[in-house]
Formats: sequence, C-alpha cells, structure tokens
Amino acid sequence: MLNRRHLHALAGAYALDALDGAERDRFERHLRRCPACEREVRGFAATAAALAMAAAAEPPPRLRDRVLAATAVTRQSPPDVARRGAARAATRPGVTRSPWVPRVALAVGGAGLAAAAALGVVQVATQHQLDSALARNQEIATVLAAPDARIAAAPTSVGGTTVVVVSRAEQKLVFTSAGLPALPPEKVYELWLLGPGTARPAGLLPPPSGGKTAPVLASGVLADDKVGVTVEPVGGTSSPTTTPIVVMTLPA
Amino acid sequence: MGPFRSASDPAERSDSELDKLLMLVARGDREAFEGVYDRLAGPVYGLIRKVLRDPAQSEEVAQEVLLEVWRTASRFDPGRGSAAAWTLTIAHRRAIDRVRSETAAAERELRSASAQVAIDEVAESVEASLEAERVRRCLEGLTELQRESITLAYYGGYSYPQVAALLDTALGTIKTRIRDGLTRLRDCLGVSW
Repeated sequence: MLNRRHLHALAGAYALDALDGAERDRFERHLRRCPACEREVRGFAATAAALAMAAAAEPPPRLRDRVLAATAVTRQSPPDVARRGAARAATRPGVTRSPWVPRVALAVGGAGLAAAAALGVVQVATQHQLDSALARNQEIATVLAAPDARIAAAPTSVGGTTVVVVSRAEQKLVFTSAGLPALPPEKVYELWLLGPGTARPAGLLPPPSGGKTAPVLASGVLADDKVGVTVEPVGGTSSPTTTPIVVMTLPA
Repeated sequence: MGPFRSASDPAERSDSELDKLLMLVARGDREAFEGVYDRLAGPVYGLIRKVLRDPAQSEEVAQEVLLEVWRTASRFDPGRGSAAAWTLTIAHRRAIDRVRSETAAAERELRSASAQVAIDEVAESVEASLEAERVRRCLEGLTELQRESITLAYYGGYSYPQVAALLDTALGTIKTRIRDGLTRLRDCLGVSW
C-alpha cells in the first residue's frame, strides 16, 4: 500500500532516475502537491550534478564541431509561458533573435567559377560568426581558385545534382548541391570522405535555400578518396547509417 | 565551476555566469551556447559514458543531450536550480532511457561483476579536480550501503529495485539509504538550492 510516507521516501531514488515508469509517474503527481518534496528533490538534483561533475571526461573534439554545426539548423522550442505564469513572463526579456546579416558576398575566380554559380548565400547571426564565415569563404575561395582545381558533377539517386571542386594540392574540396529533396526537420544530409574501407564525416549540408545548399568545405582529402552523401539524424553521425544517395569519384 | 551555490564558494560566480549564458542561449545566441558547451560537455559526456560504458554510444547520446540543451534552453528556470544541474539532469535521464530501452538490459542486470566495477571506479575515476576530490571525500563519509546504493543508481544506471537485488537488500532499506545518503552528501558538499 502506497502511503504519503512511502512517497516522500522516494525523493532520493527519483532524483537519481532510479524509479521505473508507474512509480515515477505517481511520485511526480505527488511532487506537484508537495512543496517540501519539491525542495528536497531540487537539493538532491544539485547533489547528483556534483556527482556528474566528478565524472567529467574529455569528449572527442569532433563532438564540438558536430553539435555547434547542428545548432545552425535546429529550431529552438518556445518558452513554456503557461508554466512560468503571466507575471513572471512579463518581467522576463522577450525572446529576440540577433538580426541576420544577409548575404555575405563571395568573389571567386579561376577554375572554380562554374561551381561559384552553384554557391548559395551564407547567413550569419553575430560578428563572431561573420568573421568565421568570412574566413571559411576565404578558404573556399582558395580551393576554387587553386591552379589544380577540378570540377565534377553527378546526379543523386533521389534527384538533384551534386557538384564538387577539388584541389589535390590543397587536399581540400568544396561541395555544393542543387535540387536535393527537402528533408523532414529531424534529418540532415551528411557529407563523407570515403576511403578504402573507411568513411570519414566531412560536414553537414546546410538546409537548401532556393533549391541549393551553401558550399561545404572538406579538408584532408586523400588520393583515393571518393565523396558520398547520406541522410542522417540531425547533428549527423560518426559513420553512415544509410545507403549513400550519391558516391562521386573525384577528378584526378 | 559546479552546481554548488553556497555563498562563500567561488563556484557560485561561475555557476551564475553559466545560468546567464544559458538564458542567452534561449534567445538564440550561438556564441553563448559555445560557452555552455565548453563548460558542460565534459561532465555531460563523462556522466553518460560512466552509465553506458560504450564510447561510441556515449558520444551519440551526449550529442543528443547537448542539442537538446540548445533546443529547450527556454525551459530553463534559474529559480529552480542551476544551469549545470538542469543540463546534467537531462544528460542522466537520456543515458538512463538508453539503458532501459536496450534489450541487453536484462542481461546487464545479472552482471553484478560490472556493478562491482562501477563502485570501484568512483574512487578511481577521480581526476585531480578540486570538485572531484570534494565529491570523493564526501562519498567516503557515507556508510558503505549508502555509497553503494547511490553509485549503483546514479553511475550504474540501475533502478532502485535492481540495486536492491544487486546488494541483496530489502527494497525499503535501499530506498531510505539512497535518501539518507543523498541528504548527507548534499550537506557535506554544501550544496544549497
């Protein structure tokens, strides 16, 4: 028989996520009517957070790139206005977005001009992003203008065309696409460098704008690499989980 | 840096800095999110790996969690706890969801050998950080049953009935040991909330 004392005593197990379904639901219902329990759980959650801090470990550096890239294409949830209460909401600063700095122009020349036509616009939100976008565009321009730049295009199995400009000397390539089908919000196109028996993640394609995706720069291109694209969950994965929609052999 | 908020603690400052960063994230500030990432990705990843063990799976879940922090930052309410506690609660829940949804979970429960590892690891895993040292010291101040119950539940990802089975102890006893142990741990760490 579950009585109130039994429920109170579950505060610790609840804070450690050690309750299973039905019991957790029951405790959560109780929590809403028991301010003392709520306070206790909050203290236990802070204590558990200290246990987590003590377990800190260095994540692989690629996780940072991937997560930060995903924020660019992930819409944020609106605040839960009802829960916060009207008075509270009124004192909070409104949800504002940094103004988008539109259309960073990109001037390119040399062998990559054909691909430049396929380049989309780059949208950025802050000065910092503007700087890094410009730096990236600079890098992209370097590839497109490289004396040994070669271009290749291929259709994909789902429609649309992918375009690659590769510079063997720079060991870099620039990838763009046109006419790829739009994906549901929880999916993303991921680019891969495919070596013999290996697949290295090479970036996520930004969502198409006007049917085209903005250029993605990939570094560390090896002699016998091919380039492929798969559909993956938002944020990308460390190895492909679906069949590539295109695999391109890079021009020599 | 940490989830602590006792008045004299220098952690308090960086803690409230982190709170402010997370509130900026709620407004779409990606630079603020980088700050949150750099402070919390280590604890998030470390905690998840502690529960799941498998590095590839841990990386995947950590990615989900960190993106969830970006996505749902507007739900963070500093009146109800620190940004660190909020984030690490999400991280732990996601790790537990993964553990409990796995078909291998049943098999895993039986491997009490690995449970033993979970207990030992707490003492070992501790890096040189001051906070980790403090946590280790406070864990040592618990009774053996309190410590084992808490570490099996939190780091091991076991439900409290599973903990009771692993430790061959009555359900009600485990329940109260977890609560008493957390109370003692909270007071030892000087966590305010």
